[in-house]
Amino acid sequence: MQSKGVEILLVEDNANDAELTLRALKQRNLANQVFVCRDGAEALDFFSDGASPVPKVVLLDLKLPKVDGLEVLRRLKNDARTKAIPVVVLTSSREEPDIERAYALGANSYIVKPVDFEAFARAVSDVGLYWLLLNHPPQ
Amino acid sequence: MRSIQRTFPLFVTALLVAVAIVQLSVGYGEVRQASRSVADTRLRFVDSVLVELFQSSPQRARITGLAKDSAVVAFLRSGGQRGREQALAALRRITLDTSSNARLELRDFSGRLLLSTGRFDLGDSVLVSPGTDSARFSPLMRHDTLLFSGVAAAVLGTEASGSGGQSGGIVQQVGRLQLNDRTRRFLTGLSGGDMAFLFGNAAGDPWTDFASIVSAPPASVRNSHTPSRYERGETKRAIAMAVPGTPWMVATEVPSRLIVAPAQAYLLNMAPLAALIVILGTLAAWWGSRRLTAPLVGVTKAAEAMATGDLTQRVPAGRDDELGKLANSFNTMAEQVSRSHHHLEAQVAQRTKALEGTNAELESFSYSVSHDLRAPLRAIHGFSRILLEDHNAKLDPEAQRLLGVIDQNTRRMGQLIDDLLAFSRLGRTDLSTGPVDMKELTRLVADEVQRGEAGRDGSLEIRIDPLPPARGDRGLLRQVISNLLLNAAKFTRGRPSATIEVGSQADGGQTVYYVKDNGAGFDARYADKLFGVFQRLHSTEQFDGTGVGLAIVKRIVQRHGGRVWAEGAVNQGATFYFTLAGEER
Repeated sequence: MQSKGVEILLVEDNANDAELTLRALKQRNLANQVFVCRDGAEALDFFSDGASPVPKVVLLDLKLPKVDGLEVLRRLKNDARTKAIPVVVLTSSREEPDIERAYALGANSYIVKPVDFEAFARAVSDVGLYWLLLNHPPQ
Repeated sequence: MRSIQRTFPLFVTALLVAVAIVQLSVGYGEVRQASRSVADTRLRFVDSVLVELFQSSPQRARITGLAKDSAVVAFLRSGGQRGREQALAALRRITLDTSSNARLELRDFSGRLLLSTGRFDLGDSVLVSPGTDSARFSPLMRHDTLLFSGVAAAVLGTEASGSGGQSGGIVQQVGRLQLNDRTRRFLTGLSGGDMAFLFGNAAGDPWTDFASIVSAPPASVRNSHTPSRYERGETKRAIAMAVPGTPWMVATEVPSRLIVAPAQAYLLNMAPLAALIVILGTLAAWWGSRRLTAPLVGVTKAAEAMATGDLTQRVPAGRDDELGKLANSFNTMAEQVSRSHHHLEAQVAQRTKALEGTNAELESFSYSVSHDLRAPLRAIHGFSRILLEDHNAKLDPEAQRLLGVIDQNTRRMGQLIDDLLAFSRLGRTDLSTGPVDMKELTRLVADEVQRGEAGRDGSLEIRIDPLPPARGDRGLLRQVISNLLLNAAKFTRGRPSATIEVGSQADGGQTVYYVKDNGAGFDARYADKLFGVFQRLHSTEQFDGTGVGLAIVKRIVQRHGGRVWAEGAVNQGATFYFTLAGEER
């Protein structure tokens, strides 16, 4: 579960979505240091291991097996070690309550996955570019 | 507000005041009448005493006797030639007898004074044509400021002495008219001091009050012998009475104010008493009406409180009269209302719970739709795109076309899911109602639509008439206008000069807004299908869209308590009308 130099932690239970996400990142050469978790529990395990590297951004789906995305978000933002890590919610839900709760818990961004593949690919690669290249995290 | 509690005491007060006024005025009238009749009796009595006084005057008897005195007869028959001393003695005897200061005269028939005694001289005059049998009184005579009365008798001559002319003469006495002190005291005692005694005659010659000459009382007094009122300095009441056997007349008068004084005293005594009765009666009526209406006020207040939703109201029910029954009935009713209200509330709570359950299910359903349907759709779309992009070389043109069809339909299905979710969300969000400037909002939306239609063939004019303001949810109303304008813009595509008109008209106090276009229109037979979800009257090839826009319009308008309908014909354009109930509130 340890991979050196993880830049993006993708928490996504849907293998298809994960594949499409990775492909979009790959096209921008951003997929080299992506780590994928298949449910919320795995994501929490990733951070509970003190030796794990700190990713530059977490792409978090909301509807996840075991521990759902909002719970993962809550724990990350309540933990002093992880609360500075940018969390981008990447979900199919455009329901207002989800959006409100995510921001209330401290999400840094909320992106609704477009159904249209081109739009989806553009959204994912824009997010990757922004958080990996433009954003300047605390050292 | 009319209130028994106030009107009843007012009514009683008015009644008491009326009774008091009637009682006082009737009493006043009766007392005055009685006082007047007492005064009249006294006036008549004093009159009759005065008449008696003057009638029984011994003067006449004395003069009659003097006229028969032999010395006087002889002196007069001799024409004053003989027996002067004897005649003078006879006269003096009378003067001494009566100790009066009257003047006695003996005159011949021509009026010449033959002999006289007494202190004053009234000149040469015969006062009356004297009777032969007895003396007569003369009218009153005025001399300076005094009145005099006279009495005279004739002494006839005899045949024997006949000298051609009439022999004999006249015996007469003239005296000042006055009351002696004793008489005056007597009369004053009789009259009580408030009466005036007048003496005169019916002809209206000078009258006297026995002290000085006064003007005669008016003819009404002199002639009627009944009580009369007249003004002399003040209003007076008087009765006159003739003195029989003389030309004289007496009158007594009393000031009217003395007559009405008892009546006024009655008023002064009775008015405070009447006022006291009115005040006590008013207080009693007020107290009584309060006692009577207080339970009614209690019931009214409780009923009003119930009307505003406080169902715990009960009224005290301790009385066993009609009001007590009313209170009991009210409490029973309140109990019933309260019970059925609680029952209803429980039912409502139950239904609400059930509805909330349904709503939660609906919410999780739409959540699933948005999440679970989108993911496979994205996979279908994504992988078919990947096929096209990464494996293009291995695909023949037909395979590429088929992948294109998949691509198109997944996009369309994505759109359908989005619209469906938007539509279902409409039913669940709360309205935030406020005043909405429809004209400004329409202008805003129209500008957006114009920008979106920038690349179309042909011109598009959106005309906005003045629109009355509305009350509603601004965001939702914006969506209504937006959907209607986008609809109109869509169905006028292909027209060389498209026109959309937004206006309003009044219909029975309600404002009807409308959006009218000159586009493709629709078959009026299917007008009712326009507003159904996913209902379309045109093929997707002709005009794109999912068929949710007008359904959204209808739901928003309905949630505002309004109505939406459309008129149109194929190729004749369409007009969409809607009303908002909130606009009137």
